Amino acid sequence: MMMDNDETKFEQWLQDAAKTYNAPRPTPRDEMWAQIQAERAQGARRVVVQRSWLRWGLAAAAVLLVGIGIGRLTSNQSAGTGTPVATADTTGRALVYRVAATQYLSRTESFLTGFRADLRAGRVDAFPGQARDLLATSRLLLDSPAADDPRMRALLEDLELVLVQISQLEAGRDRRNADLITQDMDQRNVLPKLRSAIPAGPVPVRTQGAT
Amino acid sequence: MDERDLINRVRAGDGSAERALYDAHVDRVYRLAYRLAGDDALAQDFTQETFIRAFEKLDTFRGDSALSTWLHTITTTVVLNGLRKVKRFHRREADLEAADGVTGGRRESEPDLKVRLRAAIDALPQGYRTVFVMHDIEGFTHEEIGVALGVETGTSKAQLSRARAKLRESLADFAGEWIA
Repeated sequence: MMMDNDETKFEQWLQDAAKTYNAPRPTPRDEMWAQIQAERAQGARRVVVQRSWLRWGLAAAAVLLVGIGIGRLTSNQSAGTGTPVATADTTGRALVYRVAATQYLSRTESFLTGFRADLRAGRVDAFPGQARDLLATSRLLLDSPAADDPRMRALLEDLELVLVQISQLEAGRDRRNADLITQDMDQRNVLPKLRSAIPAGPVPVRTQGAT
Repeated sequence: MDERDLINRVRAGDGSAERALYDAHVDRVYRLAYRLAGDDALAQDFTQETFIRAFEKLDTFRGDSALSTWLHTITTTVVLNGLRKVKRFHRREADLEAADGVTGGRRESEPDLKVRLRAAIDALPQGYRTVFVMHDIEGFTHEEIGVALGVETGTSKAQLSRARAKLRESLADFAGEWIA
């Protein structure tokens, strides 16, 4: 009984005394509301940007798949006829890969230029996701005839390495690593090599009827 | 305004309804976040994160429980996950300081009750501390705590009882205070 009484007294005392534990200040309502609105608006912008990159990624993948399809078809036909000479079909196939590669290089150039600029302004949050999309296309291209050219292969491998590093950045918390990536890019002249590999003139966006 | 109407208006994209919902619940969310985090900047971050998630996921709120209960579930998830990350970060910092040999000496005893009580609550295992803060300090019921933490009501009661026992043991020097 004595114990129960002590227990109750302790609980009452504890509840009173503990009111001072991490006692909050008045709620900063407006301050937090403004922050919530800003974060949500930024989130919405990020989704729009990511969607546009996703659309582009899907288009590039579709172009590559068309190329692979044509490749398989023409290689089957070549096997049947046993004629090892270039045909209109193989020229068309090469063009499809070239279009896909050019689109990819242009997008990657815009992406890396944007990455450097936004890094200076301290904004790198949206980049890891976009880098992953581009990385998937890099790997498709590395496995395609577009990488038969040794210079193109070397460039694609450089870009793959840069994109892997960017894709692994932790959103908003990895400024130091982001700086190291740009230093690495500068040392290996990635952007000048990339720009010189993009043909002058508008980037081809359609392949239908290209042959 | 009825809460269900408010929710429907928020779902329909009504900005003033969003603010009304926020105003109705922000105090309790912020208080809970502050009590658990013990830091204003963290409490603000956790509160903002709670409402951002809540607005994003409001379509999934089925109304099985009160909106406040649902919000407190998000709050405890956000706060406890956030605190785990902060703890990991502090541990890394402490390891670095220890490696540099720059740790300061710790006082062996602290006679002030407030400070001792704070230290004793901080030293509770995370589960005990959360239940203790929610029940004994912020006045949540065991049912509300059970839903928010995803545990049985009995578990919440048992954890509170163990938390109090540990605190009583830690604060034995001050027994005169409550016996008087």
